[in-house]
Amino acid sequence: MDISSVQKLCIDLISSAVQRCRLSEDLCRLSVVLKSSPPIIRVSISDTGTGSCLEEFQDLKCNREGIGTEKWDGLLSIKTTSISDNKIYHYHLNLRGSVSARRLTRLPSILKNDAKFSGTEVCLSISETIDALLNDIKHYFQKMLILKIPSVAAELVIERGDASGLRCQNVFLPNECSPLNFSSSNVERLKSGLEEYVLKHRNSLNNKCDSCFCSREKLKISSGVARSMESHRSPGLIVEAVIAISEHSESLCFRSSGNKTEVLHFKDFSPSSVSIASLNALTSIDWRSYGLTLVSAVDQVDHALIEWESLPPYLHIDMVIHCYHKQFPGKCKYQPDRHLIKKGVKLALDDLKEKHTGLLLSAHAVKICSYAPDLASSIAGIILSSNDVKFRSKCSLLLELSQSQEIGKQTVEDRIKEKIISVIETNDRKPEKIKEAAPFLFEDDRPQDLDPADLYLEEHEGGDDVFSFPD
Amino acid sequence: MDDLSKSDMKFFSDQQHCFADILLPHEVPARIQVVVLNFLKILSSPDPAISDLPLINRKSSNSRVSEGILTDVSWIFLSHSFCSRSLMKANATKAFIRVWKVMEMCFEILIQDKRVTQRELFYKLLCDSPHYFSSQLQVNRTIQDVVALLRCSRYSLGIMASRKGLVAGRILLQEPNQEAVDCSACGSSGYAISGDLNLLESLSMKTDARYIVVVEKHAIFQRLAEDNVFNQIPSILLTAKGYPDIATRFLLHRMSRAFPDLPILALVDWNPAGLAILSTYKFGSIGMGLEAYRYACNVKWLGLRGDDLQLIPQQSLAPLKPRDLQIARSLISSTILRDNYRQELAVMMQSGQGAEIEALYFNGYDYLVKYLAKKIVQANYI
Repeated sequence: MDISSVQKLCIDLISSAVQRCRLSEDLCRLSVVLKSSPPIIRVSISDTGTGSCLEEFQDLKCNREGIGTEKWDGLLSIKTTSISDNKIYHYHLNLRGSVSARRLTRLPSILKNDAKFSGTEVCLSISETIDALLNDIKHYFQKMLILKIPSVAAELVIERGDASGLRCQNVFLPNECSPLNFSSSNVERLKSGLEEYVLKHRNSLNNKCDSCFCSREKLKISSGVARSMESHRSPGLIVEAVIAISEHSESLCFRSSGNKTEVLHFKDFSPSSVSIASLNALTSIDWRSYGLTLVSAVDQVDHALIEWESLPPYLHIDMVIHCYHKQFPGKCKYQPDRHLIKKGVKLALDDLKEKHTGLLLSAHAVKICSYAPDLASSIAGIILSSNDVKFRSKCSLLLELSQSQEIGKQTVEDRIKEKIISVIETNDRKPEKIKEAAPFLFEDDRPQDLDPADLYLEEHEGGDDVFSFPD
Repeated sequence: MDDLSKSDMKFFSDQQHCFADILLPHEVPARIQVVVLNFLKILSSPDPAISDLPLINRKSSNSRVSEGILTDVSWIFLSHSFCSRSLMKANATKAFIRVWKVMEMCFEILIQDKRVTQRELFYKLLCDSPHYFSSQLQVNRTIQDVVALLRCSRYSLGIMASRKGLVAGRILLQEPNQEAVDCSACGSSGYAISGDLNLLESLSMKTDARYIVVVEKHAIFQRLAEDNVFNQIPSILLTAKGYPDIATRFLLHRMSRAFPDLPILALVDWNPAGLAILSTYKFGSIGMGLEAYRYACNVKWLGLRGDDLQLIPQQSLAPLKPRDLQIARSLISSTILRDNYRQELAVMMQSGQGAEIEALYFNGYDYLVKYLAKKIVQANYI
């Protein structure tokens, strides 16, 4: 694994620590301590997860063009122990050493004296401005919270060794606006995580922003999970996609342009970069059937940025995609699967449409809905012009309106319009194949010889037969 | 004709016959109300849907021919093939709504016991819903849709036919409580045929003519009326100024029943359009197939015909236009034309040329009357 920057190195070390915590079944603590005595920062990453094995660290290869020696001397100090060990092992690893033999230096182990615990501590000294590093680490944790990995409590401690001697602490707990069961599935956690991420403005706040999201209904969230079969060529893959749509009447907090969506990516329970497969999947989805038009999908390194042609005002879409393989946590290499990603996202979109009427209506449905008022007006006109009291009261009954005499045209019209729009929206949710032909108006007019091509008249039909001039 | 359809001699073709009822003014609103109730029932059902409108197909594929067996009248009628208009089809949404809008307007008209012409209806709709109606043709087509949906005649919907036709000649027409009109004294403009079918039904007619001559073109009608042809040959002249409208056909049909001994002779251009006009008087039409069958008459083809071509100069023959050829193809493919008509049509198509009646004027302005008289006396009509 090549390390191209000090920040990335630190993030990678933290990420390994998180995975170790995840694997352990107990509650774990992860601590990242930055002791800053300019120009040096002493970084210490410690966790109480399963013990680590040396290969993890020895696999880190130092890229000569990457981190300059002035930034980092290449030394890692590692203390680790597993639950079954009776010693804490202590190593110094010099990743810049050219001769492999001289890289590892074993230091005296520390006896545990029958105490049962496991954990790892990795320390290194770097020469970097603390703010850049801090930013990256914070972002990492904010994103990790989306996964809502249970049983990991993370803290970030910064000790500034300058004159002020300040010590500040950030705690990242997967705390909940909605509590999760320990046994919740991964996708449930992901949903909950994205929800909080959005409510807390990308986890930059500690609690949800009440000014933007004063009611629960403002945030609509759904998920889709696509699975592939295990085969000799690839492990079984799982893609989870979660989509959140938020509407707020007035954006009091700063908001990036509403026409863009950041699609966050996770791979194997860790934030990941965007794969080409993922970009292809996103661009190949038929967004028009959800009433959206995609302008572009671009890789922005740590997320994909989708630009829409136009969104209704105050509507914002957030998305997260998580790919992992079934044999996790065992390591295995695999190619991200474009079809699986596409399927996962589509399932999430369909789920959203299914649960919320009127959301993500296809362009076709929106167009037809625009005619609903005129149709309703015609029908209401007929009902109200009629002198037949029985007829009018039957209609009121069917429309669930009160039987009183004073129903105005507007009421009748609105009710009919409501019903028509509701049918159009429901129809829009059904996949094409299942849409049935609408019932015929008169029961005894069952068509006897149906020629499907002839069945529906188009706009300009009238018949050009010589015998069919209308006079 | 009506007697025939009520007769006991029902042949199989009658079972296939789909027709529009002539209803009283209060009956059509009842049908419209049924449509609305059914629509609302389906809209409010546990499995709600927006129903399609089933319309009788007005295409040649759904047309049938009833051959006159005991009479010499055949006619075209429509059978039970349906097509539908649907709200949900992207290109057809507007057409769907147009049908409802016309239904609504007809409903209002009938409730108020009024009648309107198609033109008036067009303007009303244009003011009311300009997004949906842009031309008279569109309105006419939509009216036919409503006829096909409700299966009632256009007149029952409160829509009067246009006043197109003219009558001249040896016939006395009297509206109830009015003075009788002598159509031979109307000058070249003739008596205008009302669009109100009820009124036409109530006309009392008296004649001493021996023939009825149906003329395609207004100009020819005027010429013949001016020249008082009906005094030389006792006849009644009738024209629809082109393609026959329902009112003219209605009146012709009435005449044919009232005066069954009078042969009905047609004077049309020698081209597919002329033959189409003749055929419409004779057999009815598909476009208004649900009603037109009622007014089919035994019209005979007087002229112009193939053997009249020797009477006109070569240069007066004009090439047929693509539209003419289209009409010709459509006529050829219909099964109702008899062989003698087919032969004439075949000659037209082969030569690719047609001729107008006016070509006869080459022989002098009074030649037309002579031509007419000669042909009638010789019973030279098919």
